[in-house]
Amino acid sequence: MSRLVVRDVAIAFGGVVALDAVDLELGAAEIRGVIGPNGAGKTTLLNVICGINPPDRGEITLDAVPLVGLKPSAIAAHGLGRTFQATQLFRGMTVLENVMTGLHGRLDEGVLGAVFRSRRLCAAEAQAAARGREMLAFVGMEQFESRLATELSFGQQRVIEIARALISEPRVLLLDEPAVGLSLNRIVEVDSLMRRIRDERGVSILLVEHVIRLVMDVCDRITVLSHGRQIAEGRPEAIRTDPAVIEAYLGKDLHAASPAP
Amino acid sequence: MRALAGRRNVVALAGLALLVLPPLANPYILYVANIALIYVILAVGLNLLLGYAGQFAFANAALFGIGAYATGLLQVRLGLPFWISFPAAVVITTLIGLVVALPALRLSGLYLALVTLAFAQFTQWLMLNWERVTFGAGGFKVPPLTFGSLQPALGLYYLSLLLCGLLVAGAWNTVRSGIGRALVAVRDSEVAAEALAIDLARYKAIAFSLSALYAGVAGGLYSAILSFVAPEGFDLFQMVVQFSMVVVGGLGSVWGSVLGAGLLVGLQEALRAFKGGQEIAFGLVLMGCIVFLPDGIISLVKRRARGWEEPLRAPDRRT
Amino acid sequence: MLPYLVVSGLTTGSLYALVAMGLVVVYKATTVVNFAHGELFMIGGFLAYTFHVLLKLGYLVSLVLAVAAALALGLVTERLAYRPLMRAPAISVVLAAVGFSFVLKGAARQIWGGLGDYMPFPPVVATPAITMGGLILVPQQLVVLAGALVCMGLFTAFFTSTRTGKMMQATAENAKAARLVGIRVDRVYAFTWGMGAATAAAAAVLMAPLTFVYPDVGSPLLVKAFGAAVLGGFGSLLGAVLGGFSIGLIENLAGGYINTSFTDISAFLVIMLVLIVRPTGFFGPRAVRRI
Repeated sequence: MSRLVVRDVAIAFGGVVALDAVDLELGAAEIRGVIGPNGAGKTTLLNVICGINPPDRGEITLDAVPLVGLKPSAIAAHGLGRTFQATQLFRGMTVLENVMTGLHGRLDEGVLGAVFRSRRLCAAEAQAAARGREMLAFVGMEQFESRLATELSFGQQRVIEIARALISEPRVLLLDEPAVGLSLNRIVEVDSLMRRIRDERGVSILLVEHVIRLVMDVCDRITVLSHGRQIAEGRPEAIRTDPAVIEAYLGKDLHAASPAP
Repeated sequence: MRALAGRRNVVALAGLALLVLPPLANPYILYVANIALIYVILAVGLNLLLGYAGQFAFANAALFGIGAYATGLLQVRLGLPFWISFPAAVVITTLIGLVVALPALRLSGLYLALVTLAFAQFTQWLMLNWERVTFGAGGFKVPPLTFGSLQPALGLYYLSLLLCGLLVAGAWNTVRSGIGRALVAVRDSEVAAEALAIDLARYKAIAFSLSALYAGVAGGLYSAILSFVAPEGFDLFQMVVQFSMVVVGGLGSVWGSVLGAGLLVGLQEALRAFKGGQEIAFGLVLMGCIVFLPDGIISLVKRRARGWEEPLRAPDRRT
Repeated sequence: MLPYLVVSGLTTGSLYALVAMGLVVVYKATTVVNFAHGELFMIGGFLAYTFHVLLKLGYLVSLVLAVAAALALGLVTERLAYRPLMRAPAISVVLAAVGFSFVLKGAARQIWGGLGDYMPFPPVVATPAITMGGLILVPQQLVVLAGALVCMGLFTAFFTSTRTGKMMQATAENAKAARLVGIRVDRVYAFTWGMGAATAAAAAVLMAPLTFVYPDVGSPLLVKAFGAAVLGGFGSLLGAVLGGFSIGLIENLAGGYINTSFTDISAFLVIMLVLIVRPTGFFGPRAVRRI
């Protein structure tokens, strides 16, 4: 049974078609890569799935729950997590507080409990902090828990953002270019982190990425977009040699001139 | 020394001092202290909206006025006693604050500032022109409050002290909970907040209604302490004073607002001596504080004394 | 009555338009709304009075001097209330400018306050009223309107045609890139604030024969100019101008047809309605969420 189903989704912005008839099915504990040249619509696809831009047409379901038309916060509450191309950590919070905020939907705290600092609230806060620390340990960042989010390096911030998205135990995690700007070492770490997320936590990942080496290495299946359309889908080996994909990246003339790798 | 000046000690000391103040002070000092308590309530409430939730709204002075007018008018027009008018007025002000929140759901930044500014102007206009209800520019007298055998000024002081203590504690607790984190999340990145299942509309509404509630309480107390309600105290200048208290004290810091309110009330009284130069002096102090202490006075306290840490910091500097 | 109201509306509107332009110029370049802008207008007006009435200098000379002085004052505002706060949250910059506005107001009260609440400023054009098809036109109004339009034209031309103007546009669009191509961004900022102040002063001097200048005129004017700018989308000079004229017209029409007490508030009611329907103002960009 597929966890995330995207069927015939299309969206245009002011006359410019960003996505057209995109189909995608994400199974349980699967890592799906979404690649394509610039402007292909990859981030748009993520925005459509998580509700920031509702599609003009099509269906999206998460564990058979329809998502189209719901507010982004409602979609997140149904079990969809997300990171962003430009890391969006909360600048006013420490690393631990950032990750704890990820538990928002699962927190057992009422308004009155918060205002009067009830025993239940104190217990909930302590539990949230404990889970936050556990998540930081999972991603290997526990030593930074009291640092302000902005004090961390770029690569570290990206990992914290993943931890924050992961702590609420989403069914599906959307990662928007997690490897951008990272050194080779860091990319290897992100690779193994994604595997652990899939294997140890059973989370399905939809990975938008430009670093092809990472995509080929970690993904179970890959979808290729070009100009908003799906031009290929399959296992990494097949995508690597698919002529339509090569053409999309290199262009017609170069493709004709160069042999298939 | 640093440990001695820790928050627990200072708050306990201040609380004690405020409790025993009345018999030691003359009526004027008592009055100023009472005004300070009212402004602490205002500033702490405004900080929840401005500092924590990051909503740049100009409506608080108007809501302060609505609290005062509602408390007074319910007594004068409908003959209700203070002990019913006051809570009712707080409810009314909170509901109006919620209504103001509605545009906030669609607007941000300058546009929100302007809509709330327009609301404030409109409220002032109603206070001045809707004479049938609000008595117009001259204002109206409110029947003085009685506290049984207790002297009215004393009774009002202790009421203010009680409410101030409760509301500051409430804010402090709220900030240290998931709600506080949600508000800061809305401030720092709406899109990330939504991705974490934080309903923007809900938390903006919470922020607006909380600040309105605080403003309503402050307004009711204010009408009681003056025994008089008029449009003047609730205009744009009042809004500037409130913003100043929050920013000078320290945006995004509950204790900063307490400090800021206390200091600025003291400053206003001290400046009375300046006669003509009041405006200039206030302007210079304001500029000086902001330029030299951009993180507020509380940042000085945090540096020099221990135990003043708070979760969730002030809005970050723009880069 | 309608034509009279329209002319009045356009005249007042041209005042709001000029002041709003100054606000928008500073905002576009520095993403800050100068909350001392109204006081810069006020000082410009008082200076014009001092130069023209007290020192008996010619009208145009007074205009130039007042504008120059205001420009200098704008530079000072930038230095005091903006530059040290470039990395602070917006509210801090707003309050610092407000603090400065209090200083200016207090100073104006001390310097000129003793002259009585309202100071008479002689009309520039002494000719009697013209009657045109049943409509009585006060030449002074026409002069003001024309003068304001000329100022707006000069201003726009400056922006689009001169080198400095283009530098300001470039900085407004992308300060980092501007720096990279060698534009002295801090100088541009300073100059922008000066220009904003200059427009405020020009507006004051033009309007001086028609309205009263008093120390507290800044605040209500700022609020209206802000409204005009927001109505116009707060990104375009043209929007600010059209917003200014709209507010002037709305005010006068409401005051004339409904009730004079409605004058001040009508504009705000309209603004509230407009923003509910079009959250980014008439000429602002359509709000689309993109990441």
